Amino acid sequence: MKLSWKPFVLSLAVLLILFPFVYLVLLSFASEWRFPDLLPSYFGLKNWSTILSSEAGLLSSFASSLVISLSVAIVSTLSGFLISRAVFYHPKKNTLTLLAYFPYILAPVVFAACLSFFFLKMGLFGNITGVIVAQFIIAFPYALLFFSSFWNQKVKSYEDLVATLGGNRWQTYLKVLFPLAKGLLLICFFQTFLISWFEYGLTSIIGIGKVQTLTIKVFLFIKEANYYYGALSCCLLIFPPVVLLYFNKRYVFKKLV
Amino acid sequence: MFLEVQNIVKHFGKEQVVKDLTFSLDAKKTLSILGKSGCGKTTMLKTIGGLVAPDSGSVQLNGADITNIRPEKRNIVYLYQEDLLFPHLNAFENIAFGLRLKKIPENTIKEEVTHMLCSLELESQSQKMPNQLSGGQRQRVSFGRAIITNPSLLLLDEPFGSLDAGTRYRMQGLFQNLSQEFDITSLFVTHDLKEAVLMGDKIGFMQAGNLKVYTDKEEFIADPATGVKDEIRFWGGLER
Repeated sequence: MKLSWKPFVLSLAVLLILFPFVYLVLLSFASEWRFPDLLPSYFGLKNWSTILSSEAGLLSSFASSLVISLSVAIVSTLSGFLISRAVFYHPKKNTLTLLAYFPYILAPVVFAACLSFFFLKMGLFGNITGVIVAQFIIAFPYALLFFSSFWNQKVKSYEDLVATLGGNRWQTYLKVLFPLAKGLLLICFFQTFLISWFEYGLTSIIGIGKVQTLTIKVFLFIKEANYYYGALSCCLLIFPPVVLLYFNKRYVFKKLV
Repeated sequence: MFLEVQNIVKHFGKEQVVKDLTFSLDAKKTLSILGKSGCGKTTMLKTIGGLVAPDSGSVQLNGADITNIRPEKRNIVYLYQEDLLFPHLNAFENIAFGLRLKKIPENTIKEEVTHMLCSLELESQSQKMPNQLSGGQRQRVSFGRAIITNPSLLLLDEPFGSLDAGTRYRMQGLFQNLSQEFDITSLFVTHDLKEAVLMGDKIGFMQAGNLKVYTDKEEFIADPATGVKDEIRFWGGLER
C-alpha cells in the first residue's frame, strides 16, 4: 500500500496554525518560565484569578472594551445602513461615496493626532465617549461603503411597492429592508466590532492612557515584558471574536451560501 | 368619472417624458395602454401612483384630488413587471403583507388570504417560499397581494412581460376573472398589441409621452399609428 504524504502535511499545517493559540493559553497559566527550563516553575490558575482582582484591571478593561466595541458596532452598523440609503438616492452619490474613503487616507495614529485638538476642545479626551466617537469615525465609513452594494433599483422597487400597499417608512424598514439585509447587517456588525475591538492607534491617543481597552493592556504588558499577563489578556481578547465568529458561521454564512 | 387625470406633465432633466396627459376612467373598468419601451408609460403610472411627482397637472380619484397625497395614503397599488415577492416570506405571508400593514385582525387575515389563495388556485402552495414557485405562480401571488388590500385603482406595468406565451395566456384569463370577482378598476400597460385588445374595456395608445384614448376598439384598429392594420395584413398574407 502506498503511503500518502498529504495527511501528514495537513496535520503539520493544522499544528502550525493552532500552535500560537495553544501556546498563548499555556503561557496564560504559567509564570517564572525562564530559559533553559523545559517547563515553567509555576503552572496554575494564579494569573486567571487576577482577572477577578482589581490589581491588573483586566476585568474592567474587558468590560470597557466590550462597551466601546458594542457601541461602535451597533451605532456604525445602523447609521451606516440608514445613511448608505440616503447616499444611494442622492444625485451626487459618487462624490459622497468617495468622501467615505477619506478617513483611510491617513494612518489611524496620524488621523487621531489631527483630531486630538477638536476632541480636547469638546471634552472628549481621555474618556470612553471620546474613544467611541473616535472609533466611530473609522468604523462608520466602513459600514457606509459596506452597505453601498445593498441598495439598487430592485430594493427601490420593493420600497415603492410597500408604499403603494399602504406601508409607512418605519414599516418598510421593519418588515422588508431589515429582513432583506439581515445577513449583511450581521456581517457588518461583526466587522465593525472587530475594527473597534483590535483598534490601538486611535484609542491610545484619544484615550491618553486613561481608557485602557484590552488591546491597550496587551501592549502595556508586552512593554513591561510581562508575557504571562500579556498572554492572559490575549486570551480574553480573542474570546468575543471567537464567539461572534461562531454565531456568524452558524447563522449567517449558512444562509448566504 | 372615477379616475380623472388632467394635464399631467413630467420632465426628467431637459427631457419631457409625459406631455399634457389627460384621460378619465369609469369605476370597475380596465384601460389598457399600448406603447413601445421608453414612451413614458411607466412614468405615467408612477405619477398616478404617487411614486413620481408631476411638474404640473392633477389626479382625481373618486372625486378627491390626490395629486399631493403620499403613495401610502392613495390606496393605489402599483404592480411591476417583476413579481417582487418578498424572499423572506412564504406565499401566504406575501399575500397577507398588505393586510398586516393595516393591522387587520389575525382571524380576518387568515380567512381572506385562504379565500384569495383559492381564487388564485394556489391552495397547495401557501407555505412555499418564492424561490420554490414557478414564474406564473409567483405572478399570481403578486396579484393576490395587491388585490387583497382592495385598492381603489390597480396600476399594472407590463405584468406578464416576463412570462412565457402559455403562462401569459392563462394569466390574462385569471386577471379578467379576478377583475370581475373583486370589481377592480385598473390601468393595464403593455407593449403587446393582442394583450391590449384582450384586457381593456377601453384602449389607449401612448407615443412619445402623449396618450390617446380611443372611444372604441374600431377606432383603435383604424388608427394606423397603433400598428393593428399592419398586423392584420401580416397574418392575412400568411393565410393566403
